[in-house]
Amino acid sequence: MSSIFDDFKEGQKIGSGPRLASALTPVAPAQYPDRLKSFYYFSNAVHVSADLRYSLFQANGLRLPKQEQGAWVDIFTSYWKAVGELVRFDDAPSHASWVKVFEAWKEMANLLIRGYSSNGLQAWTVPCLYVVGRYLRIFAMKADAELSSQGSVAFDDRFQDDATADFRNAKLEEATRVLNRMFTLCLSDRAPIEESRKWGIYDTTNLLFKTYFRLNTVGLSKNLLRALRASSADLPDADAFPKSHIVTFEYYIGVIHFLEENYAEAEEHLSYAWKMCHRNATKNRELILAYLVPCHLVTTHTLPSKELLAPFPRLEELFRPLCDCIKKGDLGGFDAAMTAGEDEFVKRRIYLPLERGRDIALRNLFRKIFIAGGFDESKDGQPPIRRTRVPVAEFAAALRIGTHADERVRVDIDEVECLLSNLIYKGLMKGYIARERGMVVLSKGGTAFPGTGV
Amino acid sequence: MSNPTPTQDTKAEPAQQPQQQKPPVLEEDDEFEDFPVEDWPQEETEQGSAANGTSAHLWEESWDDDDAAEDFSKQLKEELKKVEASH
Repeated sequence: MSSIFDDFKEGQKIGSGPRLASALTPVAPAQYPDRLKSFYYFSNAVHVSADLRYSLFQANGLRLPKQEQGAWVDIFTSYWKAVGELVRFDDAPSHASWVKVFEAWKEMANLLIRGYSSNGLQAWTVPCLYVVGRYLRIFAMKADAELSSQGSVAFDDRFQDDATADFRNAKLEEATRVLNRMFTLCLSDRAPIEESRKWGIYDTTNLLFKTYFRLNTVGLSKNLLRALRASSADLPDADAFPKSHIVTFEYYIGVIHFLEENYAEAEEHLSYAWKMCHRNATKNRELILAYLVPCHLVTTHTLPSKELLAPFPRLEELFRPLCDCIKKGDLGGFDAAMTAGEDEFVKRRIYLPLERGRDIALRNLFRKIFIAGGFDESKDGQPPIRRTRVPVAEFAAALRIGTHADERVRVDIDEVECLLSNLIYKGLMKGYIARERGMVVLSKGGTAFPGTGV
Repeated sequence: MSNPTPTQDTKAEPAQQPQQQKPPVLEEDDEFEDFPVEDWPQEETEQGSAANGTSAHLWEESWDDDDAAEDFSKQLKEELKKVEASH
């Protein structure tokens, strides 16, 4: 059960960024629920700077260069004010406000940034930047929620109608500007890599990614990526960074490619995130898989096994009906499953790639005809060859099965030919249509349905 | 808080409409979480645990060969009659 001062002292003494950052974490640990309160009530607004100077440094026997020491005192003074706003939620809830917490926290974030840019804070302390950035985002979202629950009417009066949309996320947008400065602060550090803030680059980038996703401005990620690419020569390899930074980064890069329908690249990044993810981080593993499954369907035409989805019942429920229909070549069932899951698929932005599964289902349906067609008689002891000339009418019949067509439905041969040529064009089937004979001539030698063994 | 008057309500509507057409925003609980630890050894990764042989066959082929091909042939013949009858 360590106090905020203990964490500061230990962090500085052993040079541990995470330990130091835990002093600035505005959440009391379970073992010490009054930690923030006792920090706040240890002083008052008049004496706080002097008290902090004593408690952080003199009492701890810590010595830092004067400027750096002054920067920490300023940061902690500002932290003390923010904690005061937080403590109010317990002590005087009617006067508590997330907007005030956010404003106080933002001020501290700015002091911290200045501490790095002009007051000599050392690079190993950069985990403080992540913690402060992380909570800046959280407090901004709470402040926005608070503002919108107080009624947008007040806004309407002041800003007229066209402003209403933008003001729902006003604080989060403010936070974005501070996070952007943190990003630049890390990326533009020219110190040698061992003592560079560049080690904080992925974590700050991740904070911005999360925020852009929340604000629905994912396009802005391009600017970050461009800046990162421009500095890539000076950045250490990804595997030199802590896995939490890289897994999160790769997840977001994967999803960004995914949303641009670059499924091959998306798969590469998401697979990396999946492989390196901590195996107990169930929620994050589930999120990675939610995008990785549609990627696999599009790029390698493979489906998730029961074992893979077993720990994630929500995903199993979401994907299994589609997978079963794809395997069976059940087009009617596939369409019904797409309709049933539509809201969830759209919400997760995976509808488009999943829809491509219909082609795979169709390929499997047509493949069944080929299998059912058996073998032509073999000549002079050669291994038997499958029947490669298949009447178009058989494909029409298979479509009737696949779409659960009832007696009255008439399958149009032109439409069948259209579906066939589509599959051939997409490389899912190899052969050609001999129209005048009403035959499909499939490729011989195990390549009629490439990649499926026949 | 103050009550919106009906006139204000109708005024606000045109501004809200384009917003509804935007893609839906993911819920809070759909956000990638911070990991409780910053780094972890290879053995604690998904890949590390896969090496133990526990998670083989994670991805499977998209087709199924074991279902009764004979049933399908029979069904196909029947539907073929219907196709031929209608053309």
